[in-house]
Amino acid sequence: MTEAVPAPTQAPARKAPRGEVVIYATWCKGCTICVEFCPTNVLAMHPSGRHPIVAVPENCTACHFCDTHCPDLAIVVRKLA
Amino acid sequence: MAEHILEAHSLTKQEAQIPREDWFEASETLQHLRKNKKFPTIWCSGCGLGVIMGALIRAIDHLGLEKDQVALVAGIGCTARMPVYMDFNTLHTTHGRALAFATGLKIARPDMKVIAIMGDGDALAIGGNHFIHAARRNIGITALVVNNSIYGMTGGQYSPTTPVGMRATTAPYGNVEPPFPICDLAIAAGASYVARSTAFHALELDKYLSEAISNEGFSLVEAVSYCHTTYGRINKLGTAAEMMRSLKDNSIPKATFDKLTLEEQQANTKIVRGVLHRKKRPEYTAIYDLLVQQQTHQEEIRLRNVGRY
Repeated sequence: MTEAVPAPTQAPARKAPRGEVVIYATWCKGCTICVEFCPTNVLAMHPSGRHPIVAVPENCTACHFCDTHCPDLAIVVRKLA
Repeated sequence: MAEHILEAHSLTKQEAQIPREDWFEASETLQHLRKNKKFPTIWCSGCGLGVIMGALIRAIDHLGLEKDQVALVAGIGCTARMPVYMDFNTLHTTHGRALAFATGLKIARPDMKVIAIMGDGDALAIGGNHFIHAARRNIGITALVVNNSIYGMTGGQYSPTTPVGMRATTAPYGNVEPPFPICDLAIAAGASYVARSTAFHALELDKYLSEAISNEGFSLVEAVSYCHTTYGRINKLGTAAEMMRSLKDNSIPKATFDKLTLEEQQANTKIVRGVLHRKKRPEYTAIYDLLVQQQTHQEEIRLRNVGRY
């Protein structure tokens, strides 16, 4: 009888998110730059493929990549205390 | 919010939570946009120009300049649509003449921070002579040249900065003309501050732009961008995000470039980012004011002596 191998656990989520991402979807043109470059994969595309959504908000580190690189100025990141 | 806009984006009212009027207040960058303009911008989805516009707004905001103290001058082209969206004094001029109009504005109002925003074709092909002469005079204008290697708005014709061998609609078998090195040209012509960065390195661009605006003489900031719609499609360079990534991969900081040997430097094909040139030279409007003062003084002496002879 083999020992039960513990299932690979996911990295524990942080206690609290460090940033809050707000997307203004009607200004977005769906270029996917924010989704491809987000270092912690907070953002994902909406099933319609027209604008991103905040998929994993607790992973945000407030690095401000997405709001400085959004060509349509449709993202604002607020740093949480 | 209008129902048809929501429908076009397949959104529900809950998903588009923020009403349009409030979005302009959401960050400091957005507060500098012109509210009566039609948003989103006219640029293609994923164009680097929006990133550069954000960097310019942050640079002006960082310096704490009043909105009335700044004047943006633009010519014709995709890049020249940029001042339309920004809430400063703006001047939309004829093709290639942004620096010519900016020179007149700077002489009339030397206290103003004049920023000429040009594309590569606007600055170097149509306005090539204004570019070198503005640099020669060292007049206190900040020239922001966005280099996307092509004429984007008119349909992808090759421009003075298209690299050799790359295709364009007017060079379907590859371009044979060597490109203009914009920064080297400005240094040779006599600019006092020259820096280069890319649309990917937006925060670096902020820094260089604020240094350029606070510099007294002619300052050039070359912002390397991309055009995925015409240049990228005809050369098979991929989507906007892929071209953005290639800016990251194909650029090196100036500090790294300086450490290379001479042969490696000559063989380098990557974009060198950083402050390339900084030299103090007398500024044009200051010299002009001095000349006017001297001449007025001499005229006074002459008038005083009229009755004596």
